Amino acid sequence: MKKLIVILLLAVLAWDLGVIFLGLNFGNEHFTEGVKDQYLEKTVTELNVANTVTSIVVNFRGFDTLGEVTVLFLAATALGGILYKKRHHVGERSVLFPSSSLVMSGSKLLFPAIILLGVYVFVHGHLSPGGGFQGGTIIATGFLLMLLAYDNYSVSHNLLSIVESLAGIFFVVIGLLGFMNHGTFLENFLPTGTLNSLFSGGVIPIVYILIGFKVAAELTGVIYTVLHEKD
Amino acid sequence: MSIMEIIGGILIITGSIFLFLGSLGILRMPDIYNRIQAGTKATTLGAMSLILGVGFLEPSWLLKILIIIIFIAYSNPLSSHALARAMYKRKWYPLIKGDPEKMDAYREVNTNKEKEEVKS
Repeated sequence: MKKLIVILLLAVLAWDLGVIFLGLNFGNEHFTEGVKDQYLEKTVTELNVANTVTSIVVNFRGFDTLGEVTVLFLAATALGGILYKKRHHVGERSVLFPSSSLVMSGSKLLFPAIILLGVYVFVHGHLSPGGGFQGGTIIATGFLLMLLAYDNYSVSHNLLSIVESLAGIFFVVIGLLGFMNHGTFLENFLPTGTLNSLFSGGVIPIVYILIGFKVAAELTGVIYTVLHEKD
Repeated sequence: MSIMEIIGGILIITGSIFLFLGSLGILRMPDIYNRIQAGTKATTLGAMSLILGVGFLEPSWLLKILIIIIFIAYSNPLSSHALARAMYKRKWYPLIKGDPEKMDAYREVNTNKEKEEVKS
């Protein structure tokens, strides 16, 4: 009975995918023209965003970005789950030798600078290259530096998961607000401001800040889990 | 061509020469400590003067460039110190090959200390 249901579901899925993909004319002009011009035009006229890549990633294809963040979240969770079983002493780390006092005090000074750079990158995501994912990764490297320099440096796992979940929830809430106001998920509902200024682009900076927090929390969690693995 | 552009060009050329010599040193030096030496000293000066040259060409960026120079002067020696120390702790000793004119004073101090610790 179970197998029959699975086969039935798979058949339905295959039928749906078949209908979608057989209807597409791959290689026709439809794919080389049309969409890109609309993106380029709407980025400047409707959204007032200087960075076209950002407007596509966060606004036009924002739903995909939500999926990407979810994939990252699942990967981090699965890694934690796998390594957690192998680990017996939580918070213990095998260190060959402690790092020198130069490295310790130096990384203490470098850490705020790295965090500042990461925040700058994701706050200015709609104006310059980079964005939430890149800024979050930079912040996670700051935490990696601290974890490498101090063998007893600890990051609160609860705080990380709270930050991560809040960022994810607010992302979805912003998407749903766009849905309520204009009928599409993640549609812009805020005033767009002037082109090339910090407050422009409507929801794009907010969403990128949320993505930055989420990615930073996730990657810091991954680094922390891997460093504290004990076999 | 103004005086600022000439100074900037000279600084950029100096910086690129130093960067080239640094990369040559990384390729040609015999062991890890000499390579770190070439890779740190030459590239620190090279990158700093290269960026300063850019600052002379575009005076409005000068403040940002000074911050970057401080960052390089701070982080580059620090990272190579960490690298060299880690290599020494993993027992990759400097290349001496029985040459009487060369010596590894740090190792002798450390082994003497270890002997004293064993005695006491």
